[in-house]
Amino acid sequence: MASKTLRPKGRVIAAYLAPGLLVYCFIVIVPLIISLIYSLYDYSGGANMKFIGLKNYSYLIKDMDFWNSFKNNLVIIFLSMIGQVGVALVITAAMISKSLKFKAMHRNIIFLPVVVSAIVVGFLWTIIYNKDFGFLNYLLKSVGLGSLIVPWLDNPKYVMISVSIPIIWQYIGFYLVIFLAAVQGISKDIYESADIDGAIGIKRSIYITIPLLSDTLKIAVMLCIAGNMKIFDHIFVMTGGGPGTSSMVMSQYAYINSFVMFKLGYGSAISIGILVLSLALILTSRKLWGGNKDEE
Amino acid sequence: MKNNILKKILQLILNILMLAFSITCIFPLVWMLYSSLKTKQEFALNIISLPKVLHFDNYLAAIKVGKMHLFFGNSIFNSVVSVVFIIVIGFVVAYFLSRYKFKGRNLIYVLFLFGMLVPIHSLLIPIFIQFKVVGLLDQRYTLLLPYVAFGLPMAIFLFESFIKSTPVEIEEAAYLDGGSTGTIIFRIIFPICRPVLSTTLILSFLNSWNEFPFALILLRKQSLKTIPIGLSNFNGQYTVNYPQLMAAMVIAVLPVIVLYLLFSKRIIEGMTAGSVKG
Repeated sequence: MASKTLRPKGRVIAAYLAPGLLVYCFIVIVPLIISLIYSLYDYSGGANMKFIGLKNYSYLIKDMDFWNSFKNNLVIIFLSMIGQVGVALVITAAMISKSLKFKAMHRNIIFLPVVVSAIVVGFLWTIIYNKDFGFLNYLLKSVGLGSLIVPWLDNPKYVMISVSIPIIWQYIGFYLVIFLAAVQGISKDIYESADIDGAIGIKRSIYITIPLLSDTLKIAVMLCIAGNMKIFDHIFVMTGGGPGTSSMVMSQYAYINSFVMFKLGYGSAISIGILVLSLALILTSRKLWGGNKDEE
Repeated sequence: MKNNILKKILQLILNILMLAFSITCIFPLVWMLYSSLKTKQEFALNIISLPKVLHFDNYLAAIKVGKMHLFFGNSIFNSVVSVVFIIVIGFVVAYFLSRYKFKGRNLIYVLFLFGMLVPIHSLLIPIFIQFKVVGLLDQRYTLLLPYVAFGLPMAIFLFESFIKSTPVEIEEAAYLDGGSTGTIIFRIIFPICRPVLSTTLILSFLNSWNEFPFALILLRKQSLKTIPIGLSNFNGQYTVNYPQLMAAMVIAVLPVIVLYLLFSKRIIEGMTAGSVKG
């Protein structure tokens, strides 16, 4: 904080802050109020707006399609927890090993998909999964596993796994660099004394690196939940929620209700539902982890 | 001796596994790149082989038929302009938040923190309704508003933590020399923030460039659409011609890949800092 003399008048501060606050409130705060209001109406975008009280919400609570999409979000979170956070941890362990060559190259390559647009990733994997033109089937055939081929994106049984893989593939690098940054923060002394005590290789990862990473791990888990609650682009491109509603996620469901079926009132209620569920999940996970902190 | 050989073998296995993993990460993108240079027939014949001759017609078609150049220009406009606003506004807000105590400071701080927590998709529909009511849909500047607003929290927190770590004495000296608030902020503090400035710049650009849902619902006019939307149209019209679609996809990722090749270290550092902070 700067000294009193340096501090400009309140009016000057307000003038400097106003543009940012105005834009921000217009885009983030006002819509929250709007969705609360519109969720109480039957509104399809035209001139007619009918007040229906909490009917949208009572419908939402019983709407199995909505809860099914919430469940699908949870499935993606669960798979990502293993595939992104888990795999990233394993690779982090490999990356700190002295025997690994070309570390920087590996890191840069694994991170590359993170910056690519989700739409491109969605299309790319749609082609990869394609029956005739995808290299997944080509690969399976060429190693003699042709019998494993299924319609990857068209079978309700496998579709959740098929849509999760591109998401996982894209963001492993993100968790990897977070873990690597945390590992670099661990002091060399700790490793030196571990070396003397004979903790090397995998032992070193399990007993030293991973426990010291626990704070970062908490952040990663939270990011993983938050990121996958809002997953949309990949699903939109690859399946649009289909076949049927088998790969529907919450944001896709809100989109379809509002812009395909033009139920904007109900769409607003779904938006509030997404907000409440996401915040509840993030705060709960924060609470659960926070409990551990007190014990430490 | 035996131990040594075993160690060497383990080392080799580790390196091979990591190499295989890295290849899985990059091969789909490489495949997209070289397949975009094949003819449709060549691709249908063998999807994995390299192109015999480099065939750039797919790119011409992506531009001529798919109008990728138009979407490319729109994306550049939206990304560049929103980045400028994000930087200037984010920097100014961060400066006051980190340097002074004033009424409502904590409220503003929490407000922006909230923006990092709130799921953007829950705001899509209300923002659409709001823009429709006020008449902001389908304008050249339509997308700038959400891009700037959602880019602000990250920019503010990156700038704020950086400014906090710079000494106040520089500003005090400038003040004694008679510098106004504006001069101090823009002529003295802003240049000091260069490292965090470039990080914010690149990350904000990437976010705006790749953004999809807002562009999808807020724009109807073909002439205003951005790259991700153009790409999804392209696919709807020409599903069968995969090399052509891949050429369009390469056009969409090209700026991002170039930025990444130039600034990978900055991007990685920035994303780590931004996320761990939030």
